[in-house]
Amino acid sequence: MNIIVCIKQVPNVTQVKWDADGSLIRTGLPTIINPVDKNAIEAALQLKEQHGGKVTVLSMGPSQVESALREALCMGVDDVIQLTDRKFAGADTWATSYTIGCAIQKIGDYDLVITGVEAMDGNTAQVGPQVAEYLGLPLLSYALSIAVADGKVTIDQKLGDVARVIEAKLPALVTVEKEINEYRVTPIDKLIDAFERTIPVWGVDDISPDVVHLGLKGSPTKLRKVYSPKLEKGKVEMLEGTPDEVARQLVDKLNAKFLI
Amino acid sequence: MDFTISPVNKMIIKAAKDFSERKIPAIEAYMKANNDYPPDLMEIYAKNRMLGFNVPREYGGIGTSNFNMILYIEEMGKTASTCFLPFMMNNSVAETICHWGSEEVKKKFVPPLCDGTAWATMAFTEPDTGSDPKMLTTTARPDGDDFIINGTKRFISMANKPGYGVFICKDLSLAGQKNNTTAFIIDKSSPGISCSKHYELTGLEGADTCDITFTDVRVPKGNILGNQGEGFNILLRWIAGERIQQAAGMVGVGQRAFDEAKKYSLQRVVNGMPMGYMQGFYWMLGEMKVKLEACRLMVYQAVCKQDAGKAFEVDSAEVKVFTTPMIQEVTRMAVQFLGSYGYSKEYIVEKLFRLAMHQGVVASSLEINKTIVGMTALMSRSK
Repeated sequence: MNIIVCIKQVPNVTQVKWDADGSLIRTGLPTIINPVDKNAIEAALQLKEQHGGKVTVLSMGPSQVESALREALCMGVDDVIQLTDRKFAGADTWATSYTIGCAIQKIGDYDLVITGVEAMDGNTAQVGPQVAEYLGLPLLSYALSIAVADGKVTIDQKLGDVARVIEAKLPALVTVEKEINEYRVTPIDKLIDAFERTIPVWGVDDISPDVVHLGLKGSPTKLRKVYSPKLEKGKVEMLEGTPDEVARQLVDKLNAKFLI
Repeated sequence: MDFTISPVNKMIIKAAKDFSERKIPAIEAYMKANNDYPPDLMEIYAKNRMLGFNVPREYGGIGTSNFNMILYIEEMGKTASTCFLPFMMNNSVAETICHWGSEEVKKKFVPPLCDGTAWATMAFTEPDTGSDPKMLTTTARPDGDDFIINGTKRFISMANKPGYGVFICKDLSLAGQKNNTTAFIIDKSSPGISCSKHYELTGLEGADTCDITFTDVRVPKGNILGNQGEGFNILLRWIAGERIQQAAGMVGVGQRAFDEAKKYSLQRVVNGMPMGYMQGFYWMLGEMKVKLEACRLMVYQAVCKQDAGKAFEVDSAEVKVFTTPMIQEVTRMAVQFLGSYGYSKEYIVEKLFRLAMHQGVVASSLEINKTIVGMTALMSRSK
């Protein structure tokens, strides 16, 4: 069973610092594998351990995405592919999905594509579903578990308060939630081996896309401005009374501010 | 000497930090509740491929450097958990058997120490024997194709756990010879072996240190490690590596003590400002940091010599002599830094302080290492 996992390298927002204007300081911010993408890798490795086959990890980004792919190798995946080309730069989720979709078509032989539900920097949750759409694959999103048998994949799906079990024929694309598993601690032998490997880099010429759909030019989304809401000093008000009274006062105040 | 931390080293540190943060809390919780290691501790280490760091892959190891191993240990040390002790033991004993053992011995005894099915032990100390091999009373008497072992070893880590130990005994077949100690690899579940209860130690909480007694324990001659008469040399080489690993763990302990002191110094407000900005406290922080850095560099230098295949026994002793009082002082300063909170079990610094105290008496005493360094300097031809 051959599995392709798509991962994203993101800024480690747990170490974010803000400037005096309340804007995020991006300079020097360390990068990490998007945390839920590690759960996607873990899910793929566990399926491989059950069914055999190969796990390939794919990531699109600038040259430094190499370190995220190296870390994926450290976890024990079989192959990694780095998608780096200046023509890919500035892509929105649609152009990113198209580029990744082309790369998956180039890889060709796969049964399952797994992604994390969403990236912690953009939180769009769009790339996985859009890759499925481009490739014409059934989409099984928000997975809390994955099982494969008899040419089908079955997941437990979490949709807010609703939970359901859904099934699709392979090949398919699954997006996973972080609760699906606890990803493994890096095994040291795989770690040592990972640094012996050369990571292949694919550019435009390797995936034969329609170049008008790539990068910033190929992105339907036009970003006008990125900013952080200005932080304002708040006021603390202590409500008094019995718990019932306090609850009613709180509801009234939130209603007055149209917050509920 | 260049101590540039390579991308591989950085990833090792990252993996060790991840293991320490996600796996050690559950291990530590078990140890606190049971005053012993979790029965599946070696399986946990094996699953995460942490055993056999410096053992070739053909024997089930990882085949990487001692430097990478001590980076891992340093991170584990920051947790103040004693669980780094069996981690070091399995790694160091597996490497020792690889270094001295015949092909047959290596194939038989090393893989179980790397796949988590066996707990390692190394034993020399006896009730009346400190560091002098002539004082050994545990004897090995030849009997056909076997040796019969009798005697007691004291303060032995993991003695009561299933697996193999290297036991240094007085070899009665070498009576009258200058080098009469032989190292035997003994299955700790052999008939005739019994163990005392754990010693309750000042630090090293949860450690299973106990006495192990041999009563007519039969060991095949094929279990001799190295050659007969090499027992003490095997011990000296092993303990030289163990001292460096122990010091690496203590650098982690010291680093955690420093980190805790720094954190407290920024949180505790005195007269309207964090107390860390008072000269008395930032001088303390400065002193702690410099001590730590010096210890770390000394450990790295010694382990680089070990990895380069150079003689490192004296360097290892120098590491012990220097780092023991330094780290003990750093942890003591951290206790002082936190005041009465530092002396409370609610804060980790008191545990770090107690843990640091073990370095002066475990894996050879501070004083015997001063002897090694001093006598070597005295007898050296170089200035």
